[in-house]
Amino acid sequence: MHFVNWNKADPLDSITHIQREMGDLFDFLSSAPQAEGYVSEEFPQVILSTNKEFVIVRAELPGINAGDLDVQVVNDLLTIKGERKPTAEASAVTYLRRERDHGTFARSIMMPEKVDPDRVTASYKDGVLIIKLPKAQESKPKQVVIK
Amino acid sequence: MDRKEHLAVEKKKIAPDKCVVTGKGNWYFPPADIYEIPDSFVILLDMPGVPIKNITIDMQDNELVINGEVSLETYADEKVLYNEYNIGHYHRHFTVSDAINKEKVEAKMSNGVLRLTLPKAAHVKPRKIEVKAE
Repeated sequence: MHFVNWNKADPLDSITHIQREMGDLFDFLSSAPQAEGYVSEEFPQVILSTNKEFVIVRAELPGINAGDLDVQVVNDLLTIKGERKPTAEASAVTYLRRERDHGTFARSIMMPEKVDPDRVTASYKDGVLIIKLPKAQESKPKQVVIK
Repeated sequence: MDRKEHLAVEKKKIAPDKCVVTGKGNWYFPPADIYEIPDSFVILLDMPGVPIKNITIDMQDNELVINGEVSLETYADEKVLYNEYNIGHYHRHFTVSDAINKEKVEAKMSNGVLRLTLPKAAHVKPRKIEVKAE
C-alpha cells in the first residue's frame, strides 16, 4: 500500500518551473559585470582565510599609524575603521604628482564562523593589517568517541 | 585636488615593463606621490607587505629604479575563503634630472610607505640674493 505517490504530478509544477527559469534569467542579467567573481568594492580589500584555530583577515593599508586604526568585533561582525592622513610635512609642499589617496574608511565583515571576541589579536606590520580571530570553542569540530 | 571623503578601492596595476629581476610572482606598479619642498623633492610609494631588507633602490645614470619584494608566504595550513587582492612585488622607475644631488638620495620605510628624499643640487636650490646698499 502506497502512502505517498512519488510520481504524482504536481499541478503547480509547470509554474514553479517557469518561476525558476525567470529567476535564472534575472540572476544572469544582474550578474553580467561580475567578471571577477564576488569581489566587493569596499575599502580596504581583504583576504579571509581560516585554519584549525583561527579565522585570519589580512588587509593592505599602507601609511597608516597604528593608532588611527580601530578594529572591533561584535558578535561575529568584524569592523575595521581608520583614517589615512595626508603626509604631514612641516613646510608647504608643491605636489607634482599625486596618486595616493587619503581619507577615512570603515568596513564590516561577517565572520564565517563563531569567534571568540575576547582573544582577537591584530598586528600591523609593513603596512599590512593581520587580524587573528580565534574560533569559538563550540564551533571547533569535536571528536566523537566510539565505544 | 579635492579631498575625498572615503578611500576608494584601487586595483593594483601590473608593472608595465618586464622586470629585470627574475622570480615568481606578479609585479605591480606602486602608486606614488611626488612633491617639492624647499630643499628637496620627495617621492612616496605605497608598497605594503615589503620588509625593509627586501627593498633595492638603484641609481643608474639618470634612472632611479625601485624594487620591493614581498615574501610570498604560502597559506600553509590555511584555507583561503575569499581573496580580494593579489599579493606581489613592486617595481617602478623614475628618470631624474641634473637638478638632483644623486649622491645624497635618502630612503626611509615606514608602515609600508617608502619615502625617498632627493636633495636638490646646489645650483637649483633657492638662494637669497642680498641687496647691497650703495
